[in-house]
Order: sequence, then structure tokens, then C-alpha cells
Amino acid sequence: MIFPPHRPFARFFLLAALAGFPVIAAVGKSKPADPLLGKTVYAARCAQCHGAGGKGDGPPSSILNARPRDFTSGTFEFRSTESGSIPTDNDLFNSVKNGLHGSAMPDWGHFVSDDTLRSVVEFIKTFSPRFRNEKPKSVHVGAPVPASPASIAAGRRAFERLQCGKCHGNDGEGTDAIATDLKDDGGNAITATTLTEPWTFRGGSNARDVYLRFRTGLDGTPMPSYKGAATEADMWNLANYIVSIGRKPVWKMNETELKELYSKLDRQHLENPLAWGKYLVETMGCGYCHTPMREDGSLMEDLRYAGGQRWRLVPFGDFVSYNLTSDKATGLGGWTDDELKKLLTTGIRRDGSRMYPFPMPWIAYAGLKSDDMNALVAYLRSLPAIYNKIPEPQTANFFAYMWGKFRMLILKDDLPFYAYPGNAGTEQGKPTTSIDGMRPHQPEGRRP
Amino acid sequence: MKNALKWTLRVGLPVIVLLFLALLYFIPPFMIAPPETFSGPNLAQGPALDDIKDPAVRMIAERGKYIVVRTDCNGCHTSIGDKGPKWDEYLAGGGKAFYNQDSLESYCRNLTPDYATGLARRNDEEVLRVLQTGLLPEGRQTNWRRMPWPFMANWTPEDRYAVLMYLRHLKPVKHSIPDAKPGRVRTDAEATEEIYGGDYAGH
Repeated sequence: MIFPPHRPFARFFLLAALAGFPVIAAVGKSKPADPLLGKTVYAARCAQCHGAGGKGDGPPSSILNARPRDFTSGTFEFRSTESGSIPTDNDLFNSVKNGLHGSAMPDWGHFVSDDTLRSVVEFIKTFSPRFRNEKPKSVHVGAPVPASPASIAAGRRAFERLQCGKCHGNDGEGTDAIATDLKDDGGNAITATTLTEPWTFRGGSNARDVYLRFRTGLDGTPMPSYKGAATEADMWNLANYIVSIGRKPVWKMNETELKELYSKLDRQHLENPLAWGKYLVETMGCGYCHTPMREDGSLMEDLRYAGGQRWRLVPFGDFVSYNLTSDKATGLGGWTDDELKKLLTTGIRRDGSRMYPFPMPWIAYAGLKSDDMNALVAYLRSLPAIYNKIPEPQTANFFAYMWGKFRMLILKDDLPFYAYPGNAGTEQGKPTTSIDGMRPHQPEGRRP
Repeated sequence: MKNALKWTLRVGLPVIVLLFLALLYFIPPFMIAPPETFSGPNLAQGPALDDIKDPAVRMIAERGKYIVVRTDCNGCHTSIGDKGPKWDEYLAGGGKAFYNQDSLESYCRNLTPDYATGLARRNDEEVLRVLQTGLLPEGRQTNWRRMPWPFMANWTPEDRYAVLMYLRHLKPVKHSIPDAKPGRVRTDAEATEEIYGGDYAGH
């Protein structure tokens, strides 16, 4: 017997391999895209951010400053095709393989083989009908203009003539930019790229990459294609100019350069506390708790920073994150700056009661420099008011508390903490819901 | 004699039980320590960065230290004992165990530059990739509710680099962290029943 009975699938695999052989031999090196493989890999690796339906709405997507691409729209930013055209397979493949610098899109080529990535690209193309109905119109990239002082000077003139400074600032750092509330086609707030930091250029930072961004535009964003508005040579000059104004990253700087950079950054933070406060809030993770969460772990965007995420700490009780928006009745609108700062640095509430150092990590915020604290508070003050009435913390009933404490202190047991999906607050116009009706789907973790 | 013993038991036992219950009720668990005992040591932790010879690296690492403190990395990455966080194991991992939606139980990793158990065996690219994309060196994507990498993805690349430089200069602590192990995702009912035996938040 060729196939032993304890390996019932061996026959299948051998036959499948034999059946696949002519195809592989005919195509040569690269295997044909496998739709099932693409789908599986997408579900395992891409869906967390891009969503199972490819809408770019995976659980962490609302937090990321550079939002994951919505594949159903069929528009892509980083292409080598005309404005409005779909990208080529190679464009998609390169983005997936090398990642998008400075964003949360990883360089998948490090982990996944090229053949598998091509299958994933084929699967991604099924989300939008555009890939079935249209053909990509590749741009013709002519001979590059080599970088020279003359070319860079011409690039600077083109920069001024095309009014790049409107969004990017005249110095490329956005300092004196006029258009600051940019939105993409999906209505998400986006920021113009800082042109002096080439390591954040998601589409690549060499002259050819930068030229392609001018030539093709970033579809779905306010960055247009400059085909027609500028000559081929001008776009190359512009690319050379952008490459030339790139500053050194900190990992290549020496002491004096670093001192200069850091004092400049500190000055900018002082001059523009709102922007700096926004950066602090977005990177310190305030939204992690102060936004209600859905069953799948995604955050409710229309209640951003409005609190309402309920946490249960055994044996202490139930705590609902506070409404950080500037609403007078239910948020921070009625708080003075001093009250807020006192809570953030000492964990003492307005009524004088003390907070636990967990889950609200005020002990960490006690280390904030006073300027940064001011910026943070200023940004919180600027959040649009959302009515979301937060219930008081609830302590556990006597028996649960005693049992929990016995386990914690005597039995040295692991006590879990839970975050509940759903909004525990009461939104305007909605009837009061009992938070007792909420149930955690699983414990978040525990203290070992 | 027998009677006296009987009465001692009758009075003494309830008193002992009551005393024990009162002690249990009033004894402050580590979490109700006064603020100064908590935020003080938290900010005083970390290595003496003055020892770093290269002044540029020292400046970057100081920047990184400030970011690590304000982002509260040690809230999860430092284990907690009866008297609060174990400061001699600062950022050495194991602080919390997390149950993941993909049925894994995972532990916070050791961030100190210990070769066998910490970050010393990871190159810069690997560490920065975790901060930027949540992708671990073995190719597993961390769950964002456990390791909140999307907030770190919002850091500028230079801030991520500063944090890396700081982590590279921590005191190496040999603290072995178990790998993520398969766990069982509990259902709503199980999870609630198991801990609270029904209604927990009674008022």
C-alpha cells in the first residue's frame, strides 16, 4: 500500500502537488495568485486594521493618525499611475512589501514571502469593483533631472509658484500654513507632511518617489497631481528641492545639533500649545479608556473622549471613565484648570477623595512638566462638548469585597480586571440605561 | 474548668473572627497608599543617564525617559507585589497577564537590555517595529487592547527612537517572561459567575 491508512490526506496532497506541477512549470518562478491563500492571510494579518470588509475600519483604526486604507473606495495614495486611476499591481505589492514609512503599515516582506503577498494583493483588489472594470494608466517617468544647485533653486521657485506653502508651510514644516484643517475623502482629519523630515514620507524619500507624488497626486487627499500645472522638469526640480531641505534625523545628530533641535521643539510647543497638547493626548493613550468600546474592541468615534468605558477592578468595584469633553454639565466644562491639574498630578478628586493609581495612571502624569501639563489641559478644554453623563464609581457589595480581599491578601490569588463594551454613560436624549445590564465578554487581564 | 474553656471558646472565637474580618476590611491593599509614596518612586526610577559617555545619546535617552514616564510604560511592564510595584524590577516585564481574543494568555515582556530574557537580543529595527506597528519579531500581531501600539504609532519616529535609546540604557534585569500560551476564552456567563458568583455591584 503506497498510502498508509494513518495518513489519509497524503494521497490528496500528492495529487494536488502533481496537479499543480504543470502550472508552476509553465509560469516559471512566481506562482499564480491563490485567492484562498490571499483571503486567509488577509484575515489573519490585515483585517485587524483594514477591517474584515476592507473598509479600513478595524478596531484600532480610529486611533491611528494615518488611517488604514479603505479598499472598497478603490482610491490609493501611493501609485505610479495617473491621478484618478487605479494603482498597478506592483504599486500595491510594493506598499505591502516595504510598508509605508512612519505609519503603522509594517514591512510585510520581512515576514511573508513575495508569492503570498501577491495573493494578498489579488484579494485586496476584489474589494473594489474598479479593479474589475478599469485598467491602470501608468505614468511615463522620463529621465530625471540630476540634483544641482540650479535645479534646487528652480525647485524653490516652483514651490512658491505652486503655493505648496499653503498646506506645508513656507519652510516645509507647516509653521505658517494657512490650510490647517485638512480632510481626506472619508472626512478624516489629516495633516500635511512635514517636508523637512524625509523619514516620515510614507511613499518613500528619494527624488523619484517624491517626483511621483507630484506627478500622480495623492488620491483621496487634498494633494493634487501637478501634471499640467508644472512641467516635467519643474516637478523633478521640486523633488530635488524637497530632498535638499530634509534635515538630519536625531539618530545622526551631534550634541550641538540636538540642543538646537530640542530647544526649537520646546519653543514650538510653547508657541502652539493646542497642537502639542493634541500630540500628548493622542500618544499618551487617553482615548484608550475615555472612549466607549464596541464588542469587537473598536472605539465609538462619535463619543470620542466622552468617557463611558466601564472597568471592573476586583475587589474595589466598578469605575467608569470620565467625560473629558468640555461639556458643562457632564464633562470637564465645569472644572477649573487647577482642579484638573490637581487630579492629574496627585490623584485627588474635586471632592477631595483619592483615586487608585490604577487604571487611571495619574502617578505617571505627575511627572509631566508644567508647560506640557498646561498644553494638555488646554487641548482637553478645546474638545467639542459631548453630553455623556458618567455614573459615580460603584463599590462592590460587602461580601464580594471581603471575598475579593481575602483572595487578594490571604490566598494571593490573581484578581482580574475587566473592560466592558458599550457606553456606561447616559447620552443626551437617550433613556438612562442600567449599567448592571452590561456584561463583560471576557476578562481583560489580571494581576499576577 | 470545662465550663471556663467553653466560655473562652464562646467569646474568644467570635472575637477572633470579628477581628480578622475587621482587619481584612480595613487593611489597606497596596493601592490605597498615599500619593507621595507612589508618584515619588515612580518618577525616581530608571538608570543614571549621566553615565552615558556620548552626550548626543544621553540627550536622546533623557528625552526617551520622559516619554516612557508620561506614557506609563511601567504601569504594565513592572510587576506588582504586595507593597506596590517592584522597583528593582523596573520595566522588567511580567506586570500583567492578558487574555486575548485569539485565545492566548500573554505577559508583558522584559524591556531591560538583558540578553537572555530582555530586549538585548532584539535589534533596533525589531523594537521600533513593535512600537510602530505592533508586530512582534516572531511575526505575531499584538492585540491593541493589550499592548496599545496604535498610540505609539502616533509618536513621531524620532520619539520612538528616543524611547529605544532609553530602553537600551536601562539596568539589565534577568527576568524570564513566559511566552504567550494558549488559553481559553471564557464566555460572558462563565467570566461573571466565576469571580463574583452573580450580582457583584450590589448597592
